[in-house]
Amino acid sequence: MSLAFTLNGKPCTTEVPDHWTVLDLLRDGLGLMGTKYGCGEGVCGTCTVLADDRPIRACLVLAAHVRGRALVTVEGLEVDGRLDPLQTAFAERGASQCGYCTPGIMLAAKALLLENSAPTEHEVREALSGNLCRCTGYTKIIEAVLAAAGSR
Amino acid sequence: MRLPPFRLVEPESLPEAIDALGRLDGEARLVAGGTALVAMIRLGLVKPDRLVSLHRVPALNEIRVEGGSLSLGAMATHGDIERSRIVRDGWPLLAGSVRRVATPAIRTSGTIGGNLAYAEAASDPAPALLCLDAEVRVVGPSGERVVPVTRFFRGFYEAALEPGEIVGAIRVPPTPTGARGGYTKYTSRSAEDKPLLGVAALVVLDSSGRCADVRLALGGAAPTPIRAEAAERSLRGETLSDAAVRAAAETAAQHADPLSDLMGSADYRREMIRVWVRRLLVSLRDGSR
Repeated sequence: MSLAFTLNGKPCTTEVPDHWTVLDLLRDGLGLMGTKYGCGEGVCGTCTVLADDRPIRACLVLAAHVRGRALVTVEGLEVDGRLDPLQTAFAERGASQCGYCTPGIMLAAKALLLENSAPTEHEVREALSGNLCRCTGYTKIIEAVLAAAGSR
Repeated sequence: MRLPPFRLVEPESLPEAIDALGRLDGEARLVAGGTALVAMIRLGLVKPDRLVSLHRVPALNEIRVEGGSLSLGAMATHGDIERSRIVRDGWPLLAGSVRRVATPAIRTSGTIGGNLAYAEAASDPAPALLCLDAEVRVVGPSGERVVPVTRFFRGFYEAALEPGEIVGAIRVPPTPTGARGGYTKYTSRSAEDKPLLGVAALVVLDSSGRCADVRLALGGAAPTPIRAEAAERSLRGETLSDAAVRAAAETAAQHADPLSDLMGSADYRREMIRVWVRRLLVSLRDGSR
Protein backbone atom coordinates (compact mmCIF):
# COMPACT_ATOMS: atom_id res chain seq x y z
CA MET A 1 0.00 0.00 0.00
CA SER A 2 1.10 3.57 -0.57
CA LEU A 3 1.75 5.70 2.48
CA ALA A 4 2.38 9.44 2.85
CA PHE A 5 3.43 11.03 6.12
CA THR A 6 5.95 13.48 7.52
CA LEU A 7 9.27 12.09 8.71
CA ASN A 8 11.57 14.27 10.80
CA GLY A 9 10.03 17.40 9.30
CA LYS A 10 10.10 16.29 5.66
CA PRO A 11 7.30 14.81 3.55
CA CYS A 12 7.76 11.12 2.81
CA THR A 13 5.86 8.82 0.46
CA THR A 14 6.61 5.13 0.30
CA GLU A 15 5.17 1.68 -0.40
CA VAL A 16 4.72 -0.72 2.52
CA PRO A 17 3.31 -4.23 2.89
CA ASP A 18 0.01 -4.36 4.82
CA HIS A 19 1.48 -6.21 7.78
CA TRP A 20 4.41 -3.89 8.43
CA THR A 21 4.61 -1.96 11.68
CA VAL A 22 6.11 1.53 11.99
CA LEU A 23 9.32 -0.13 13.18
CA ASP A 24 9.54 -2.24 9.98
CA LEU A 25 8.84 0.89 7.96
CA LEU A 26 11.61 2.89 9.65
CA ARG A 27 14.35 0.28 9.83
CA ASP A 28 13.72 -1.91 6.80
CA GLY A 29 11.81 0.42 4.52
CA LEU A 30 13.74 3.62 5.14
CA GLY A 31 17.04 2.43 6.61
CA LEU A 32 16.75 4.48 9.79
CA MET A 33 18.45 2.24 12.33
CA GLY A 34 18.27 4.57 15.32
CA THR A 35 14.94 3.11 16.45
CA LYS A 36 15.56 -0.25 18.12
CA TYR A 37 13.64 -3.50 18.34
CA GLY A 38 13.35 -4.67 21.94
CA CYS A 39 10.52 -6.87 23.15
CA GLY A 40 8.15 -6.50 20.19
CA GLU A 41 5.18 -6.41 22.57
CA GLY A 42 5.05 -2.75 23.57
CA VAL A 43 6.52 -3.31 27.01
CA CYS A 44 10.17 -2.23 26.93
CA GLY A 45 9.86 1.14 25.16
CA THR A 46 13.09 1.02 23.18
CA CYS A 47 11.19 1.48 19.87
CA THR A 48 9.44 4.67 21.09
CA VAL A 49 9.09 7.40 18.43
CA LEU A 50 6.84 10.47 18.24
CA ALA A 51 3.64 10.69 16.18
CA ASP A 52 2.17 14.19 16.23
CA ASP A 53 4.30 14.97 19.30
CA ARG A 54 3.01 11.99 21.29
CA PRO A 55 5.07 8.87 22.06
CA ILE A 56 4.09 5.65 20.29
CA ARG A 57 5.43 2.12 20.24
CA ALA A 58 6.80 1.60 16.73
CA CYS A 59 6.63 -2.19 17.24
CA LEU A 60 2.86 -2.17 17.85
CA VAL A 61 1.53 0.56 15.57
CA LEU A 62 0.75 -0.56 12.04
CA ALA A 63 2.51 1.51 9.38
CA ALA A 64 -0.88 2.30 7.80
CA HIS A 65 -1.94 4.02 11.01
CA VAL A 66 0.65 6.81 10.72
CA ARG A 67 -0.69 7.90 7.34
CA GLY A 68 -0.76 11.71 7.32
CA ARG A 69 0.89 12.00 10.71
CA ALA A 70 4.20 13.61 11.66
CA LEU A 71 6.81 11.11 12.86
CA VAL A 72 9.97 12.06 14.71
CA THR A 73 12.72 9.51 15.30
CA VAL A 74 16.03 9.89 17.12
CA GLU A 75 17.58 10.89 13.77
CA GLY A 76 15.27 13.92 13.76
CA LEU A 77 16.23 15.31 17.16
CA GLU A 78 19.29 17.05 15.75
CA VAL A 79 18.22 20.08 13.70
CA ASP A 80 20.58 21.95 11.32
CA GLY A 81 23.62 20.33 12.89
CA ARG A 82 22.57 21.35 16.39
CA LEU A 83 21.88 18.66 18.95
CA ASP A 84 18.63 18.76 20.87
CA PRO A 85 19.15 19.91 24.49
CA LEU A 86 18.21 16.37 25.52
CA GLN A 87 21.02 14.89 23.46
CA THR A 88 23.52 17.35 24.90
CA ALA A 89 22.34 16.65 28.45
CA PHE A 90 22.51 12.87 27.93
CA ALA A 91 26.03 13.14 26.50
CA GLU A 92 27.33 15.51 29.18
CA ARG A 93 26.04 13.37 32.02
CA GLY A 94 26.81 9.96 30.54
CA ALA A 95 23.11 9.15 30.79
CA SER A 96 23.43 6.01 28.74
CA GLN A 97 25.32 2.84 29.38
CA CYS A 98 24.99 0.28 26.60
CA GLY A 99 22.82 2.82 24.77
CA TYR A 100 20.20 0.45 23.42
CA CYS A 101 17.29 2.05 25.31
CA THR A 102 18.56 5.60 24.80
CA PRO A 103 16.74 6.58 21.56
CA GLY A 104 13.40 5.48 22.99
CA ILE A 105 14.06 7.22 26.27
CA MET A 106 15.05 10.48 24.59
CA LEU A 107 11.85 10.48 22.52
CA ALA A 108 9.66 9.67 25.52
CA ALA A 109 11.39 12.58 27.29
CA LYS A 110 10.96 14.80 24.21
CA ALA A 111 7.20 14.14 24.25
CA LEU A 112 7.09 15.15 27.92
CA LEU A 113 9.04 18.38 27.37
CA LEU A 114 6.89 19.35 24.38
CA GLU A 115 3.82 19.17 26.63
CA ASN A 116 5.38 20.30 29.91
CA SER A 117 8.51 22.45 29.66
CA ALA A 118 9.21 22.41 33.40
CA PRO A 119 8.41 18.93 34.72
CA THR A 120 9.01 17.77 38.26
CA GLU A 121 11.17 14.73 38.91
CA HIS A 122 7.99 12.75 39.55
CA GLU A 123 6.59 13.81 36.17
CA VAL A 124 9.82 12.75 34.46
CA ARG A 125 9.66 9.36 36.16
CA GLU A 126 6.04 8.96 35.11
CA ALA A 127 6.79 9.93 31.50
CA LEU A 128 9.64 7.38 31.38
CA SER A 129 7.68 4.65 33.18
CA GLY A 130 7.32 2.74 29.92
CA ASN A 131 11.03 2.74 29.08
CA LEU A 132 13.19 0.02 30.54
CA CYS A 133 16.95 0.32 30.91
CA ARG A 134 18.37 -3.10 31.71
CA CYS A 135 21.71 -1.57 32.62
CA THR A 136 19.43 -0.01 35.30
CA GLY A 137 21.10 3.39 35.28
CA TYR A 138 18.00 5.52 35.72
CA THR A 139 19.47 8.19 38.00
CA LYS A 140 21.57 9.93 35.35
CA ILE A 141 18.78 9.59 32.79
CA ILE A 142 16.37 11.45 35.04
CA GLU A 143 19.00 14.06 35.88
CA ALA A 144 19.68 14.58 32.17
CA VAL A 145 15.99 15.13 31.35
CA LEU A 146 15.64 17.63 34.19
CA ALA A 147 18.81 19.40 33.02
CA ALA A 148 17.53 19.56 29.44
CA ALA A 149 14.28 21.08 30.68
CA GLY A 150 16.24 23.65 32.70
CA SER A 151 18.47 24.58 29.77
CA ARG A 152 15.60 25.76 27.59
CA MET B 1 10.72 -9.85 14.18
CA ARG B 2 8.18 -9.34 11.36
CA LEU B 3 4.52 -10.05 11.90
CA PRO B 4 3.12 -12.93 9.87
CA PRO B 5 1.50 -11.46 6.74
CA PHE B 6 -2.14 -10.37 6.75
CA ARG B 7 -4.23 -8.15 4.54
CA LEU B 8 -5.32 -4.79 5.92
CA VAL B 9 -8.76 -3.46 5.04
CA GLU B 10 -9.47 0.20 5.76
CA PRO B 11 -13.21 0.89 5.50
CA GLU B 12 -14.43 4.49 5.62
CA SER B 13 -17.73 3.94 7.44
CA LEU B 14 -19.11 1.64 10.14
CA PRO B 15 -21.46 -0.19 7.72
CA GLU B 16 -18.47 -0.87 5.45
CA ALA B 17 -16.49 -2.11 8.45
CA ILE B 18 -19.32 -4.45 9.49
CA ASP B 19 -19.48 -5.71 5.94
CA ALA B 20 -15.71 -6.26 5.80
CA LEU B 21 -15.79 -8.22 9.06
CA GLY B 22 -18.59 -10.45 7.77
CA ARG B 23 -16.95 -11.51 4.50
CA LEU B 24 -16.23 -15.21 4.53
CA ASP B 25 -12.66 -15.25 3.22
CA GLY B 26 -10.63 -16.37 6.22
CA GLU B 27 -10.42 -15.05 9.75
CA ALA B 28 -10.85 -11.31 10.19
CA ARG B 29 -10.04 -9.23 13.26
CA LEU B 30 -10.97 -5.66 14.03
CA VAL B 31 -8.02 -3.39 14.84
CA ALA B 32 -8.20 -0.03 16.61
CA GLY B 33 -4.96 1.07 18.34
CA GLY B 34 -3.44 -2.39 17.99
CA THR B 35 -1.78 -2.29 21.41
CA ALA B 36 -3.36 -5.62 22.36
CA LEU B 37 -3.99 -7.22 18.97
CA VAL B 38 -0.57 -6.62 17.38
CA ALA B 39 1.14 -8.02 20.48
CA MET B 40 -1.13 -11.07 20.31
CA ILE B 41 -0.36 -11.57 16.63
CA ARG B 42 3.36 -11.33 17.34
CA LEU B 43 3.03 -13.88 20.13
CA GLY B 44 1.15 -16.22 17.78
CA LEU B 45 -1.99 -16.18 19.95
CA VAL B 46 -4.15 -15.15 16.98
CA LYS B 47 -3.45 -15.64 13.28
CA PRO B 48 -5.87 -13.47 11.31
CA ASP B 49 -5.88 -13.42 7.51
CA ARG B 50 -7.34 -9.93 7.47
CA LEU B 51 -7.36 -6.95 9.80
CA VAL B 52 -10.21 -4.49 9.50
CA SER B 53 -8.93 -1.10 10.68
CA LEU B 54 -11.24 1.56 12.11
CA HIS B 55 -8.78 4.42 11.57
CA ARG B 56 -10.44 5.77 8.45
CA VAL B 57 -13.97 5.83 9.84
CA PRO B 58 -14.60 9.55 10.42
CA ALA B 59 -15.52 11.06 13.79
CA LEU B 60 -15.17 7.78 15.65
CA ASN B 61 -12.80 9.42 18.15
CA GLU B 62 -15.11 12.26 19.16
CA ILE B 63 -15.48 13.18 22.81
CA ARG B 64 -18.59 15.27 23.44
CA VAL B 65 -21.49 15.93 25.78
CA GLU B 66 -24.96 14.89 24.60
CA GLY B 67 -27.95 15.76 26.79
CA GLY B 68 -25.74 15.90 29.89
CA SER B 69 -24.11 12.52 29.20
CA LEU B 70 -20.59 12.01 27.99
CA SER B 71 -20.26 10.35 24.60
CA LEU B 72 -16.91 8.77 23.86
CA GLY B 73 -16.33 7.54 20.35
CA ALA B 74 -14.85 4.04 20.42
CA MET B 75 -11.63 5.29 18.77
CA ALA B 76 -10.98 7.97 21.41
CA THR B 77 -7.57 7.06 22.80
CA HIS B 78 -6.70 6.95 26.47
CA GLY B 79 -4.38 9.89 25.76
CA ASP B 80 -7.25 11.90 24.23
CA ILE B 81 -9.53 11.12 27.17
CA GLU B 82 -6.99 11.88 29.90
CA ARG B 83 -6.31 15.29 28.30
CA SER B 84 -9.96 16.15 27.54
CA ARG B 85 -11.15 19.18 29.52
CA ILE B 86 -14.72 17.86 29.24
CA VAL B 87 -13.83 14.53 30.82
CA ARG B 88 -11.52 15.98 33.48
CA ASP B 89 -14.13 18.50 34.61
CA GLY B 90 -17.27 16.37 34.40
CA TRP B 91 -16.06 12.79 34.83
CA PRO B 92 -12.87 13.03 36.93
CA LEU B 93 -13.17 9.39 38.05
CA LEU B 94 -12.96 8.28 34.42
CA ALA B 95 -10.13 10.68 33.57
CA GLY B 96 -8.21 9.44 36.62
CA SER B 97 -8.60 5.79 35.64
CA VAL B 98 -7.64 6.31 32.01
CA ARG B 99 -4.51 8.16 33.13
CA ARG B 100 -3.41 4.97 34.86
CA VAL B 101 -3.56 2.74 31.78
CA ALA B 102 -0.16 1.16 31.06
CA THR B 103 2.38 3.81 29.98
CA PRO B 104 2.22 7.08 27.99
CA ALA B 105 3.03 5.51 24.61
CA ILE B 106 0.38 2.82 25.03
CA ARG B 107 -2.15 5.52 25.95
CA THR B 108 -1.35 7.39 22.72
CA SER B 109 -2.57 4.45 20.63
CA GLY B 110 -4.88 2.37 22.83
CA THR B 111 -8.57 3.22 22.52
CA ILE B 112 -11.47 3.07 24.96
CA GLY B 113 -13.50 0.90 22.57
CA GLY B 114 -10.61 -1.50 22.12
CA ASN B 115 -10.03 -1.66 25.85
CA LEU B 116 -13.64 -2.70 26.50
CA ALA B 117 -13.86 -5.12 23.55
CA TYR B 118 -10.65 -6.84 24.72
CA ALA B 119 -12.51 -7.54 28.01
CA GLU B 120 -9.34 -7.69 30.08
CA ALA B 121 -10.22 -8.58 33.70
CA ALA B 122 -7.69 -6.03 34.93
CA SER B 123 -8.78 -3.16 32.65
CA ASP B 124 -8.19 0.24 34.29
CA PRO B 125 -11.14 2.17 32.76
CA ALA B 126 -13.66 -0.67 33.24
CA PRO B 127 -14.12 -0.30 37.02
CA ALA B 128 -14.62 3.46 36.62
CA LEU B 129 -17.17 2.94 33.83
CA LEU B 130 -18.93 0.30 35.96
CA CYS B 131 -19.22 2.83 38.83
CA LEU B 132 -20.52 5.48 36.44
CA ASP B 133 -23.25 3.18 35.03
CA ALA B 134 -21.92 3.62 31.50
CA GLU B 135 -23.48 1.98 28.44
CA VAL B 136 -21.84 0.59 25.33
CA ARG B 137 -23.39 1.36 21.94
CA VAL B 138 -22.82 -1.67 19.75
CA VAL B 139 -23.39 -1.66 16.00
CA GLY B 140 -23.62 -4.78 13.90
CA PRO B 141 -25.18 -6.54 10.93
CA SER B 142 -28.64 -6.40 12.52
CA GLY B 143 -28.45 -2.75 13.60
CA GLU B 144 -27.63 -1.02 16.83
CA ARG B 145 -28.10 -1.99 20.47
CA VAL B 146 -27.12 -0.58 23.82
CA VAL B 147 -25.49 -2.80 26.45
CA PRO B 148 -24.95 -1.58 30.03
CA VAL B 149 -21.27 -2.00 30.97
CA THR B 150 -22.49 -4.17 33.87
CA ARG B 151 -23.61 -6.74 31.26
CA PHE B 152 -20.87 -6.15 28.68
CA PHE B 153 -18.25 -8.49 30.16
CA ARG B 154 -19.41 -12.04 29.59
CA GLY B 155 -16.36 -14.02 30.66
CA PHE B 156 -12.58 -14.22 30.69
CA TYR B 157 -11.48 -12.00 27.75
CA GLU B 158 -15.03 -12.30 26.39
CA ALA B 159 -17.17 -9.26 25.64
CA ALA B 160 -20.89 -9.38 24.84
CA LEU B 161 -20.20 -8.88 21.14
CA GLU B 162 -21.67 -11.13 18.47
CA PRO B 163 -19.72 -11.91 15.28
CA GLY B 164 -19.55 -8.81 13.11
CA GLU B 165 -20.42 -6.42 15.93
CA ILE B 166 -18.34 -3.33 16.68
CA VAL B 167 -18.22 -1.02 19.71
CA GLY B 168 -19.30 2.35 18.29
CA ALA B 169 -19.39 4.56 21.37
CA ILE B 170 -19.60 4.63 25.14
CA ARG B 171 -22.22 6.75 26.89
CA VAL B 172 -21.51 7.86 30.43
CA PRO B 173 -24.35 9.44 32.44
CA PRO B 174 -23.53 12.58 34.43
CA THR B 175 -21.44 12.09 37.57
CA PRO B 176 -23.87 12.33 40.54
CA THR B 177 -23.87 15.78 42.16
CA GLY B 178 -21.52 16.00 45.11
CA ALA B 179 -19.89 12.66 44.33
CA ARG B 180 -16.38 11.86 45.51
CA GLY B 181 -14.69 9.33 43.31
CA GLY B 182 -11.33 7.68 42.87
CA TYR B 183 -9.49 4.90 41.12
CA THR B 184 -6.50 3.18 42.64
CA LYS B 185 -4.47 0.34 41.25
CA TYR B 186 -1.95 -1.99 42.73
CA THR B 187 0.74 -3.22 40.38
CA SER B 188 2.79 -5.96 42.01
CA ARG B 189 5.71 -6.01 39.57
CA SER B 190 6.48 -2.90 37.53
CA ALA B 191 4.75 0.22 36.22
CA GLU B 192 4.10 -0.98 32.68
CA ASP B 193 2.40 -4.15 33.87
CA LYS B 194 -1.36 -4.56 34.13
CA PRO B 195 -2.65 -4.16 37.66
CA LEU B 196 -2.92 -7.07 40.05
CA LEU B 197 -5.97 -5.20 41.32
CA GLY B 198 -7.82 -2.02 40.37
CA VAL B 199 -10.46 -0.42 42.60
CA ALA B 200 -12.87 2.35 41.60
CA ALA B 201 -15.35 3.94 43.99
CA LEU B 202 -17.87 6.73 43.90
CA VAL B 203 -19.66 7.92 47.03
CA VAL B 204 -22.18 10.65 47.76
CA LEU B 205 -22.29 11.52 51.45
CA ASP B 206 -25.33 13.29 52.93
CA SER B 207 -25.05 16.13 55.48
CA SER B 208 -24.59 13.65 58.32
CA GLY B 209 -21.82 11.80 56.49
CA ARG B 210 -23.94 8.79 55.53
CA CYS B 211 -23.65 7.15 52.12
CA ALA B 212 -26.62 8.34 50.05
CA ASP B 213 -25.06 6.65 47.04
CA VAL B 214 -22.12 4.27 46.98
CA ARG B 215 -20.62 2.38 44.05
CA LEU B 216 -17.62 0.13 44.10
CA ALA B 217 -16.04 -1.82 41.24
CA LEU B 218 -12.99 -4.03 40.91
CA GLY B 219 -10.61 -5.02 38.12
CA GLY B 220 -8.45 -8.14 38.42
CA ALA B 221 -10.72 -9.53 41.14
CA ALA B 222 -12.66 -11.99 38.98
CA PRO B 223 -12.55 -13.32 35.39
CA THR B 224 -14.13 -9.98 34.35
CA PRO B 225 -14.28 -6.50 35.86
CA ILE B 226 -17.10 -6.51 38.45
CA ARG B 227 -19.29 -4.26 40.60
CA ALA B 228 -18.91 -5.19 44.28
CA GLU B 229 -22.64 -5.07 44.93
CA ALA B 230 -22.74 -6.82 48.31
CA ALA B 231 -20.12 -4.42 49.64
CA GLU B 232 -22.10 -1.46 48.25
CA ARG B 233 -25.26 -2.68 50.02
CA SER B 234 -23.41 -2.98 53.30
CA LEU B 235 -22.46 0.71 53.14
CA ARG B 236 -25.71 2.25 51.92
CA GLY B 237 -27.09 4.61 54.57
CA GLU B 238 -24.00 4.07 56.75
CA THR B 239 -21.19 6.42 57.59
CA LEU B 240 -17.74 5.48 56.29
CA SER B 241 -16.50 4.60 59.77
CA ASP B 242 -13.32 2.55 60.04
CA ALA B 243 -15.43 -0.46 61.08
CA ALA B 244 -17.95 -0.07 58.22
CA VAL B 245 -15.18 0.36 55.67
CA ARG B 246 -13.31 -2.66 56.99
CA ALA B 247 -16.48 -4.76 56.85
CA ALA B 248 -17.25 -3.61 53.29
CA ALA B 249 -13.70 -4.46 52.18
CA GLU B 250 -14.10 -7.91 53.76
CA THR B 251 -17.43 -8.39 51.95
CA ALA B 252 -15.84 -7.34 48.65
CA ALA B 253 -13.03 -9.85 49.20
CA GLN B 254 -15.49 -12.66 50.10
CA HIS B 255 -17.64 -12.06 47.03
CA ALA B 256 -14.74 -11.69 44.58
CA ASP B 257 -13.64 -14.59 42.41
CA PRO B 258 -9.98 -13.86 41.80
CA LEU B 259 -7.68 -15.82 39.54
CA SER B 260 -4.18 -17.00 40.27
CA ASP B 261 -1.56 -15.94 37.75
CA LEU B 262 2.06 -14.79 37.48
CA MET B 263 1.27 -11.58 39.36
CA GLY B 264 -0.25 -13.22 42.40
CA SER B 265 -2.34 -16.05 43.78
CA ALA B 266 -6.09 -15.87 44.31
CA ASP B 267 -5.53 -15.71 48.08
CA TYR B 268 -3.10 -12.83 47.71
CA ARG B 269 -5.53 -10.99 45.45
CA ARG B 270 -8.30 -11.43 48.05
CA GLU B 271 -6.00 -9.99 50.69
CA MET B 272 -5.16 -7.06 48.41
CA ILE B 273 -8.89 -6.41 47.90
CA ARG B 274 -9.21 -6.04 51.69
CA VAL B 275 -6.30 -3.60 51.75
CA TRP B 276 -7.02 -1.43 48.69
CA VAL B 277 -10.80 -1.17 49.04
CA ARG B 278 -10.28 0.02 52.63
CA ARG B 279 -7.58 2.52 51.65
CA LEU B 280 -9.62 3.96 48.79
CA LEU B 281 -12.81 4.39 50.82
CA VAL B 282 -10.91 5.98 53.72
CA SER B 283 -9.21 8.42 51.35
CA LEU B 284 -12.59 9.40 49.86
CA ARG B 285 -14.04 9.86 53.36
CA ASP B 286 -11.12 11.99 54.51
CA GLY B 287 -10.93 13.96 51.29
CA SER B 288 -7.27 13.00 50.93
CA ARG B 289 -7.51 12.07 47.27
